[in-house]
Amino acid sequence: MIIEFWGHEFKVNIALGCIGGFLIAVVSSMFGFGGGPFMVPLMTVGLGLPMYVVVGSSLLAIFFNTAIGTMRHYQFGNFDLIFFLIMVPAAIIGGFIAPRIAKRLSPIVVKRIAVVGLLLLALNLLGVY
Amino acid sequence: MRYKMLAMIFSILLLMLCHNNSFAQIAQGTTASSVKTEKELSPPTIIIDKTALNNGGTITVTGIAPAGKPVYLEVWSEKKVRASRFDADIDKDTGKRPYILYMTYDMPAFYKIFVPKDQKDSLDKIKKEGKQWSFSKALKDSGADIAYSAPAKIKILRYQATLMGGIIGSRGELLPAMDDKENKKRSMQLVKARFGKPDKVLGADVEVNPDGTYKVKVKVSKGLAPGKFYIVAVVDKNLKSQPVFFENNINFPVVYLSNGGTSLNLFGPFLLTLAIVIFGVLMGAGGGFIMNPLFVSIWPLPHTIVAGTVMPTVLFSQASGIYNYSKIKFISWKLGVIIGLAMVAGGFIGPKLTELITLEQFKFIFGWILIILAALMFWQTMPRYIENNKKEQAILKEYKKKAEEAAKKKLS
Repeated sequence: MIIEFWGHEFKVNIALGCIGGFLIAVVSSMFGFGGGPFMVPLMTVGLGLPMYVVVGSSLLAIFFNTAIGTMRHYQFGNFDLIFFLIMVPAAIIGGFIAPRIAKRLSPIVVKRIAVVGLLLLALNLLGVY
Repeated sequence: MRYKMLAMIFSILLLMLCHNNSFAQIAQGTTASSVKTEKELSPPTIIIDKTALNNGGTITVTGIAPAGKPVYLEVWSEKKVRASRFDADIDKDTGKRPYILYMTYDMPAFYKIFVPKDQKDSLDKIKKEGKQWSFSKALKDSGADIAYSAPAKIKILRYQATLMGGIIGSRGELLPAMDDKENKKRSMQLVKARFGKPDKVLGADVEVNPDGTYKVKVKVSKGLAPGKFYIVAVVDKNLKSQPVFFENNINFPVVYLSNGGTSLNLFGPFLLTLAIVIFGVLMGAGGGFIMNPLFVSIWPLPHTIVAGTVMPTVLFSQASGIYNYSKIKFISWKLGVIIGLAMVAGGFIGPKLTELITLEQFKFIFGWILIILAALMFWQTMPRYIENNKKEQAILKEYKKKAEEAAKKKLS
């Protein structure tokens, strides 16, 4: 399939994109996270698109998943209103503060810390310690 | 433009769906224990030293039971929560996997049976069985099965899951109600599914003296449901005391999450969310990856509630992001909508699967997801990726600038 974006045309293997998107959606809605960090590599590495096409479009694709996932979780009763009301203001305030801090930090350093943190958390979940 | 329309139609449909979905409210069955007396022996007496607690504490229960008899104490809260268990274990009789989802809305938010101190060994043995422990066996081994009564008659719904049902995201066909004996057996499995560890539901704390007097220190930990807690002393199946109750009070900023069945200080999840969202934005991944496993590890919240409640918190930030990109026409609607529709199919199935797995499985699979994520992050710190990314980011900036200028021109 041909995608046109700001005067450039890109040939995209849409079947791969849809299958990958489907699988990411199943797992991310099952476990309740966004899926962005998996979606962006799928579209850049898997579909061979440049970053400037991916940033907005991947967000749009994920929004579909979050919307339907939210609805379905609500339908199955997997929702607590007070818990939600506690988290929402924190998420909004965090979204305001974060870009201000980001300017002063090297993203590479943050990512390295994240790798260690994620591994520690993963090993804890797997019951290693 | 066609795809933009499609996206709009989709969101309108979604709104309508949400609005029309009315879910059957399941009537809450009463679980009052029947109090019967035997003629030969008089039922035990029961006295509590306090009638109210403030977010946990210790209540001393004393009384007199027929001498020489063991005394059990059944304690449960008036507040109820949902519990579910997916039975995919091979049936010993038929050799087939039943694939039945058991679900109740009437599980007490707190449930515990206190057994005589001399049963400590049998409880320790059960703890050693690890994750595969069986609550019904634990009750039998410690003699506590005579006290098990409050959850025995809760209304349990059974759904026959099928592969097709799984694909279309349905719980399956609702099976007819079970008889009392089967209901009791399944309720024990649900107690285990809800409370997890043996020491949450069983404690060897009853001090029984030879003259029949007994004393128990009932520890009510922080973070339990507010409201009434009932206590019944049990000597035999038909020899029980009248139920007594105390009130567990919670005050702001401690709040009760009624669907999670847990009280917590609201600043806890607030600060944790704030910290993780900031860190999430900095590392370029949403906070859900870290938030979900931490929430289920720190607080005794069910994984279904955590997954289903964390997910919508990002809806607004995603929507505002899309709005900002669309203002400067920086979205390929065709690409986003087509892959988005594939994701709709996935997002339809996923939430159904959450309730089919146990908390243990949730944590285990999440562990592996995080390892993959860590690998992705590590790859993004490799020199070759950084080099490449720098170029990409420069092009991204340039195009974005162009797009912003074009959007401005259009306005003026």
